[in-house]
Amino acid sequence: MKFLREHWFFLLVFVGLLLLPYLIGWLTGSNPLGVIRGDRYIMRGESTYWQSVMIEVFALSVLVMSYNLMFGFTGVVSFGHALFFGLGGYITGIMVQFSGLDPLLAFVLAVGLTVVLCTVIGLVIGLATLRLKGVYFAIFTLALAEMVWIYFGRLPLTNGEDGLTMSNLPAIIDPSQNRLILYYLAFAMFVFTFLFIRRLVNSPTGAVFKAIRENEERAQAIGYHTLRFKLFAIVVASTMAGGAGIIHAVLAKSARPEFLGVGYTVDSLLMTIIGGVGTFTGPIIGAGGLHLADVLLRNAQFTIGTTTINIGESWTFLLGVVFVVVVLIFPFGVVGTYQRWRANRKR
Amino acid sequence: MENLIREIGVPLGRFFGRTTATGAIALLFAIILGVAFVASQGNMSTFSITILSGLLRAALLFLVAAGLSLIFGLMDILNFAQGAYFMIGAYLAYDFQHPANGVIRIGEAIPDPNLRFLVGVILAVVVGGILGVILERGLLRPLYERPLFQLVLTFGVSIIMLEFIKLIWGTTPYAWTVPITIQTTQFEIFGQGFSAYRLFIIVMGIALMIGVALLLRNTRIGITIRAGVEDAEMVTALGINVRAVFTLVFTLGCALASFGGAVAAPFLGATPSLGATYLLASIAVIVLGGLGSYEGTAIGSIIVGLAWATMEQFSLFSNIGTVWSSITPMLMLALVLLARPNGLFGEER
Repeated sequence: MKFLREHWFFLLVFVGLLLLPYLIGWLTGSNPLGVIRGDRYIMRGESTYWQSVMIEVFALSVLVMSYNLMFGFTGVVSFGHALFFGLGGYITGIMVQFSGLDPLLAFVLAVGLTVVLCTVIGLVIGLATLRLKGVYFAIFTLALAEMVWIYFGRLPLTNGEDGLTMSNLPAIIDPSQNRLILYYLAFAMFVFTFLFIRRLVNSPTGAVFKAIRENEERAQAIGYHTLRFKLFAIVVASTMAGGAGIIHAVLAKSARPEFLGVGYTVDSLLMTIIGGVGTFTGPIIGAGGLHLADVLLRNAQFTIGTTTINIGESWTFLLGVVFVVVVLIFPFGVVGTYQRWRANRKR
Repeated sequence: MENLIREIGVPLGRFFGRTTATGAIALLFAIILGVAFVASQGNMSTFSITILSGLLRAALLFLVAAGLSLIFGLMDILNFAQGAYFMIGAYLAYDFQHPANGVIRIGEAIPDPNLRFLVGVILAVVVGGILGVILERGLLRPLYERPLFQLVLTFGVSIIMLEFIKLIWGTTPYAWTVPITIQTTQFEIFGQGFSAYRLFIIVMGIALMIGVALLLRNTRIGITIRAGVEDAEMVTALGINVRAVFTLVFTLGCALASFGGAVAAPFLGATPSLGATYLLASIAVIVLGGLGSYEGTAIGSIIVGLAWATMEQFSLFSNIGTVWSSITPMLMLALVLLARPNGLFGEER
């Protein structure tokens, strides 16, 4: 009973998201599996549309939660987190399209390869730069991400700027055949990441992370090998970002250079800060809120006097403005501000 | 086998570990010039043009990197928006010079293209300086207590500036079509023509390198800046208003980057990717030179500029593709940091 009383909100959200495809299907009278055409389903109807929106929200949430583990809990700033996000997508694409193996086996191998490669790259960048000032890590991640972005933008194997289309995806996770399965896969990853980060940050290791964020020299003076803890945080975060990238690329059925671009790094920074730096639910609220706003406002237009502003075209610009405003006057984000407000009220 | 590794590896490690800055620089220059000579297939005219375009790159890199380095040394802020200032300069100079296909159309008042260009450059410098003051005074000052957020903020500002430029001028690159007189004047070197304007930029870049060094060494404000780089708190304790010096250096740095963009526009044009390209290369320059060291920045920009032009020539000669030339600055950085982790002139940090 105590468990229920303390966690009723999370349980409610969990059950809600679990039943969401059926709920939307019931409300709008559409089949969550799609529309039957012959012996297969066509992905039409409200339920399947919102499934794809939510899969994207889950992928972005995992990305942002992993970013928050580094930035919010350990105090390490990365400007190239999209590197791991895009890499997951490209590894999956290349394995599925070119390995010549059975699609499902190729996909499973791709997941394993993503984990290995993200771990290795995270370790190498961390080892090369974390002994120096924090700004070196930011510089190196930015530089490496830009280099890989330029590289994949010109690589003939993956069609350069146009990106690699995945036509060989295994049928059970193909979003144009079995979107519901992909939905539950993304949901499982989302829940797992959330619980894992909660467990990690609340553990003694997490306490050291926070100590590093507050004052690294003091954490060192107490006797912790801070480099190892920072490396651990970076490796975990990189691997999670790679996983999020796989889901994102599978949903888009392609791996494109912009997945590696600075846009997704900005998104993760912004969503972390808007939701609340160093909180558990902040990244989810940031990712969900901003992505849903993007989906809903993409075609919106505002007319002020004689000038018409198309929100879709100036979306990134508006995000940038929101970003600076939030950093300056709203630095704790939605969740952080709410927690402060509640703590003040109790007192 | 183990003995072999020890016999080769230990002296090699000792050599790299103990190379002085001068030795490392001499080695780098020798390598770059050697590759440039091979890439131009012994043809003296190609070789000299490669070196000249390398120096041109170096001059432009220096204009962005000098501000970046001084700001970092003094205030511990890596200004990720510096590349955006370069880009703003390029777009303003372009727009001023081409009233017909520009957006702001204020250049029409001056019919003579040479005078118009001069006014355009001054305009770019002024706008860059004003935007610099706004960024430092308005946005960074409230955040001196939270350095992590300062880093994040300059990154956000660079995104805003880039998107703002895209909204106003669109994403299509602009090529310079109204030339200035000095640009069309050519002079010959080993039978190859080279624009006098580019030579002028090289000379001006070197003059600025020396000028800023003299300013830092001899004037009162320069001495204050150098003292601030060493220990800003101590300078405050001596009764000098360090915050005012911060604003001055920040403004000058941004104005310098904007000036660089404006004078580069006649041959680079105005494209949305300018900012990221020059920002990354300049970051490579200042880290390679040693963060916060002025000599390091000056020599680093020459090294990276030459290496960049050399790689471009090399990719033409050997058909390895243009990808490699565009990531040269980062490759140079990795190479130098392997031998000297704190950069050429960097101190232990």
